[in-house]
Amino acid sequence: MNYINNAAIIKRQVMVRLAKLILDDTIQDNIDLIPVLMTPKNSESVRCCIHHDRAVVRSRVKVLLGFAAASESQSDEVKLLKDYAADAVQKGEDKFDESILTVIDDACSACIRSKYQVTNACRGCVARPCIMNCPKKAIRFEGGHAIIDENLCVSCGICEKVCPYHAIVYQPIPCEEACPVNAISKDEFGKEKIDPQKCVYCGKCMLACPFGAIMERSEMFDVLRDIKDPGKTTVAMVAPSIAGQFNTDFGKVVSALKKMGFDKVVEVAYGADITAQKETEEFVERLEHKESFMTSSCCPAYVQVVKKHIPSIQSYVSTTLSPMIYTGEWVSNQWPGATRVFIGPCVAKRFEARESTYVDNVMTYEELGSIFIAAGVDVVECDEQEPDKSASSVGRGFAVSGGVANAVIASAASCGVKAVSKPVNGINNKTVSLLRVLDKTIKEPAFVEVMTCEGGCLNGPGVTSSPVIAKKFLEKMLK
Amino acid sequence: MSKKFKVSICSGTTCYVLGGAQMMVLEDCLPADIKDEVEVVGSSCLQKCHEPNAKPPFVLINDYLMESASMTKVIDYIREHR
Repeated sequence: MNYINNAAIIKRQVMVRLAKLILDDTIQDNIDLIPVLMTPKNSESVRCCIHHDRAVVRSRVKVLLGFAAASESQSDEVKLLKDYAADAVQKGEDKFDESILTVIDDACSACIRSKYQVTNACRGCVARPCIMNCPKKAIRFEGGHAIIDENLCVSCGICEKVCPYHAIVYQPIPCEEACPVNAISKDEFGKEKIDPQKCVYCGKCMLACPFGAIMERSEMFDVLRDIKDPGKTTVAMVAPSIAGQFNTDFGKVVSALKKMGFDKVVEVAYGADITAQKETEEFVERLEHKESFMTSSCCPAYVQVVKKHIPSIQSYVSTTLSPMIYTGEWVSNQWPGATRVFIGPCVAKRFEARESTYVDNVMTYEELGSIFIAAGVDVVECDEQEPDKSASSVGRGFAVSGGVANAVIASAASCGVKAVSKPVNGINNKTVSLLRVLDKTIKEPAFVEVMTCEGGCLNGPGVTSSPVIAKKFLEKMLK
Repeated sequence: MSKKFKVSICSGTTCYVLGGAQMMVLEDCLPADIKDEVEVVGSSCLQKCHEPNAKPPFVLINDYLMESASMTKVIDYIREHR
């Protein structure tokens, strides 16, 4: 669940400051001041002291410039942000290696390893069922209290269940708990590391970390540079989940984007219309060839889940391209040489965009909102404007779970092909297990729509609005 | 009868992105004890974000301007001043 919290607000405050410097062309002079301005002398520190807070802000700026958080050498530790900014200009696309999500070591609290903790509600009772029942002999008594040896504990949870005083509690490591594919774990110093071989870029760890220690490597620097370049045509390709992101109608967002500097604004829902049509044709054809089911392919994190973790169902995943790619293709034909920026709620789209020749950069709504603030553009005050390419309500419906399935099943039915919908609403440990056996459990012709974010893209990691609000606006757009 | 507290939540982009979004559901989340005394009125930008060192999001409760506002801060304030 994406909810507003301090860590998210601080991240956005840093984004606003950085965006402002890029727009004002004062980045070389002022970028190294950001950590100090965020945590001025004598201000209250969130961590141990203001210097720690500043170190974390420095890393955040580095990540927002597009770099990984970790230092590669000792000299990186003292490198000025303005030098990173200069590198960012030079390197351009090349600075992106495999990682999309990056852990800021200084921010990672290195949460305790053991997932079960004895609280001081322990009465040191005679029965001691925790010790008696622990299969790993991980509990001992010291000073009248039970103590769990974290090196022996395997987190089975038996002690928690048997304690008559409920003195043992489950204490999750939020990022590890949130990751559906066990891609994040501790290194020898207790800090979290993301395994690029396993990561599906869903962004759930980033939302879950209460220290805001995980960030996505931003592309806003590159986007803003192109926007400021008068010789470049920049096209904003806006995902259907834009509905209500700024508590206004889409028309106002269109003119806000133009005010901010985009030359053209295109609805990705237009590409979703194409996806819906092609995916239906593919589905009908597959069923005619006696295949039992097909899954959607528009959610890039799900595509990675299958590729990296469940190759056994790979052949059931639709080969139809995603709305972003069809939109990018259309834009490329319409305005050759333009910079094509996908704006959406998604982390995984960054990876999908990198693999494609039709999209240059990806930005989240949260980044977009921060840029609006930096540019002094108030969306609410803007006039309504039509986008340069609009879409039907079918494509717009892709933003919520059920939208893709409804579109495909309805149009398959009009071709005389009957199928049921078996949606997977949200990727987590449980649904990953379900997906593993999908080819054995589905008995009747079915379309399986998979959304990594529960509820669909409206609940993505990069949204600014609560899904409740966004849904109201989307429903208005679907009429 | 007019209600005792008139709450306007700034929904300008600055406030909205920097924490105000969550308060848009305030009306539906008011606890029963204060629900009848509060009227949430829509507001576009309260124009406070342009001041130096502004601390968005802003909420106006009658004449009191709250900075760095949050749902719980608003509810606590109303409980204290009823």
